[in-house]
Amino acid sequence: MRVNPYPMPDLLAALNQSELEQQEVTLQISSGRSVNEPSDNPAAAAMLVENNDEMQFTASDLQNLSTIHGRLSSADSVLSSMQTALQQAISLGVEGANGTVSSSDQADIVAQLQGIQSQIISLANTSYEGNYLFGGTVTGQPPYVPNSADPSGVTYNGNNDVNQVSVGKGYQIAVNQPGSQLFSASSTSVFLALNQLIQALQSNNGIETAVTSLTSAANYLSAQSVFYGNAMDQITSQTTYLNAVKLQLAQQQNALGGVDLAMAANELSQDQTDTQAAIEAISKMEQNGSLFNYLS
Amino acid sequence: MSGLFGTLSIALSGLSVSQQELETSSNNVANANTAGYSREVPLAEAGPPIVLGSLALGTGVVLEHIESLRNPILEIQLNQQTQQDSYLNSQLTELQQVQSGFSSSTTGIGADITNFFNSVQQLSPDPINLSLRQSVLTAAGNLATDFNTASQNLETQRSNLDQNVVEDVGQINALTSEIASVDQQISDLQNTNEDTGTLVDQQTSLIRQLSALVDVQVIATGQGGISLTTSNGTALVSGSQSFALSTATGTDATEHVMSGSQDVTTALTGGSLAGTLEIRDQEIPGVLNQLDQLAAGLANAVNAANAQGYDLTGAQGTNIFTAPSGIAGAAGALRVAISDPSLIAASSDGTTGSNGNLANLSAVASAPVANGQTPLSAYSDLVFQLGSTTSNISADADASAQILQQLEDQRGSISGVSLNEEAANMVQYQTAYQAASRVVSTVNNLLQDAVNLGMDVAES
Repeated sequence: MRVNPYPMPDLLAALNQSELEQQEVTLQISSGRSVNEPSDNPAAAAMLVENNDEMQFTASDLQNLSTIHGRLSSADSVLSSMQTALQQAISLGVEGANGTVSSSDQADIVAQLQGIQSQIISLANTSYEGNYLFGGTVTGQPPYVPNSADPSGVTYNGNNDVNQVSVGKGYQIAVNQPGSQLFSASSTSVFLALNQLIQALQSNNGIETAVTSLTSAANYLSAQSVFYGNAMDQITSQTTYLNAVKLQLAQQQNALGGVDLAMAANELSQDQTDTQAAIEAISKMEQNGSLFNYLS
Repeated sequence: MSGLFGTLSIALSGLSVSQQELETSSNNVANANTAGYSREVPLAEAGPPIVLGSLALGTGVVLEHIESLRNPILEIQLNQQTQQDSYLNSQLTELQQVQSGFSSSTTGIGADITNFFNSVQQLSPDPINLSLRQSVLTAAGNLATDFNTASQNLETQRSNLDQNVVEDVGQINALTSEIASVDQQISDLQNTNEDTGTLVDQQTSLIRQLSALVDVQVIATGQGGISLTTSNGTALVSGSQSFALSTATGTDATEHVMSGSQDVTTALTGGSLAGTLEIRDQEIPGVLNQLDQLAAGLANAVNAANAQGYDLTGAQGTNIFTAPSGIAGAAGALRVAISDPSLIAASSDGTTGSNGNLANLSAVASAPVANGQTPLSAYSDLVFQLGSTTSNISADADASAQILQQLEDQRGSISGVSLNEEAANMVQYQTAYQAASRVVSTVNNLLQDAVNLGMDVAES
C-alpha cells in the first residue's frame, strides 16, 4: 500500500499535543490546582463551590462561637458575683433578724444591704462590648434603673426576648437571658426580695420572712446560672467538632482540586520525552531526505 | 513498410512523450507542498499499429492523458469532517471564554453568595455593630457587581459573535463566487477536451475552505459541473452561477443569515458559522438566563426577608437590592438599593439589639430561589453544566481532529506527491529519453549511409 508521503502534519499534531499537555501540567503545578477551569472536571468544579461555602461558614461559625463565648462567660461571672453578694445579704439578714442586735447595728446592716442593692443593680447593668447583657434584646441602655416608688426599688427597661446565634448547620445557641427572667420575675425577683428585706429591717418587722424570700430568690438565680455552664459546654464541644470539620473540608478541597505533585512531575517528564521524540522525528525526516539526494 | 523515416518518427514520439512525462514529474515536484494539489500521472499508450499483411507495425507512443489522482468519496468525507471539526472548534473556543468567567471557587458569584450570607451570620452575635452591618452591604455590593460583570461579559461576547456571523457570511459569498467562476473555466476546458486536473484541484480546495464555514453538500451535475447547497437545501452554487447569502438584523437584534428572503439561521448545521450561531443563540442565552433567574430570585428573596424585620431606627425593613423588574436582564441590572448600613433589618421585634430577623435573611441561603434550587446550588449547577458542555465539546473536537488527520493521511496516500516516486520516475523517463535519442542518432547514421550509397567512398 502506498503510504502518505507527508507525515509532517501528523508529527506536528503530535508535537502540538504533547506541548499542550506539558502546558496543562505546568499550569497545574504552578497553580497547585488540578481544576483550573470547570471543564477540567465539571463535577469537582461544582463541588469546590460548595466546599468553599462550607469552609467559609465553618470559619464564621467558629468566629461566632468565640464571640459568644466571651459574652456568655462575662454574663456567667456577673451571676456568680451576684450570688456572692446575695449570700452576703442573706447573712446580713440573718444577723439582723437576731433580736439582740442594737438599733445602730441594725442601721449599719441596712446601710450595707443598700450597698449590696446598688452593687447588684450595677451588676445587672453589666455591658459587654457596648451591649447590655441582661436587657433582653434592648441592649443599648441599662436595663435596670433605681426607682424608689417601685416595690422592688428598680424599673426594668428591657424586654423578654432572647437572641439565637447560629453556630453550625441547623444548630443555634441562645446567647442571652433577659433580666426579667433572671433577676426580676415577679415571684423570684432578687430586687424585690432584697428591697423587702431592707424595708423589713427598717421597720423591724417580718425580717425572717424577708430572709426566706431572699434565700429562695438567690437559689432560683443559682439554678438559672446552670444555663451559662451548659452553653459554655456546648460552645466547647461545638468548637472541637467544627475544627474537625474544617480539617475534613480542607482535605476534601485538596482531594477535589489539589495536585498530586509527584504524579504531575512524572507526567511532565513524560510529556517532555514525547515532545523531544516528536522534534527528533521531524529533524530526522529532513536529514533522510529523499531518493533525490542519492541521484547525481 | 514505413522505412527509416517511420523509425525516426517512432523515436521522435518516444522523445516527446518522455519529455512530457518528465514535465509531469517536474510539475509534481514543484507542487509537492501545494495545498490541495493531487499528483498527476501521465498515461502513455502505444500508437495505433499499421497492418501490413500479417504484420502489425507499431507507430510509437502517444500521451493519452494526464490523470490527477484523487478519490472523490474521500474528498466528500474530508468536506464533511471539516464541517464537523470547524463546527466543534468554533464552539470550543467560545465556550472556553464563557467558562473562564466561572472558573474560580473562591472568587466570583459563587464566593460572593457565600460571603453575603456569611456576613449576615457574622452580624448575628452583635446586630447593632455598624462595621459588621457595613460588611453585609459590601458583600451585597460585590455580589451585584459580579453579576453585572458576568452578564456584561456574556453580552459583549455575544455581540462579537454577531460580528463573526457577518464576516463568515462575507467569506462564504467570496468562496461561492470563486467556486462558480472556476466551474465555468472547467466546463470551458472540457468543451475543448483539455485537461482540467489543476482546476478541479483548485475547486476542491475552495470547497474545503467553504466546508470550514458552512455545511456544504456537493452534487455532481455531470459534464464535470457541480452544484453546492447547504444540508437543508439552500442553494449556494449551481454550475457557473453563485447565490450569495446575506445578513439581516432580526427582531431579537441579532444578525440572521438570509438566503434571498428566507431566514436560514436555524437551518445551518455544520462549519464555524453554525458553531458561532449555536453559542450565540443557545449557549450564551442559556447561561444568561440562569444568571438572570438566580439574580432575580435571590434579590426578591433577600428583599422579602428584610421586609419582615426592623432596621436600627425601628422601621420596617426596605429593599436591600433594587427590586428586579422581571427575570430577563436581572443579572445585569442587579444593584444594592441602600447605602446606610443601619437599614439592614436585623431585628424581629423592633429593638436594636434583636437579631431575630437575621435568621430569615440567612434562611434565603437554603431557600429554593431559582428553579427550585438554593442560590449556591443554582450557581454550582451552572458551573457543572458549563464545565460538562465544554468538556464534551472538547472531547468531540479531539476525536474529530483525529478523524480529520486520518482522512488527510488517506488523501495523502492517494494524492500526495512522493519525492522518491518522482525521482525513480525521472530516472525512468531520462533513460527512455536517452534511448530514443540513441535511436535517432542511429537512424541518422543509417540515413547517411543510404544517402552515400553507390557514391565513391571519399578518400581520407
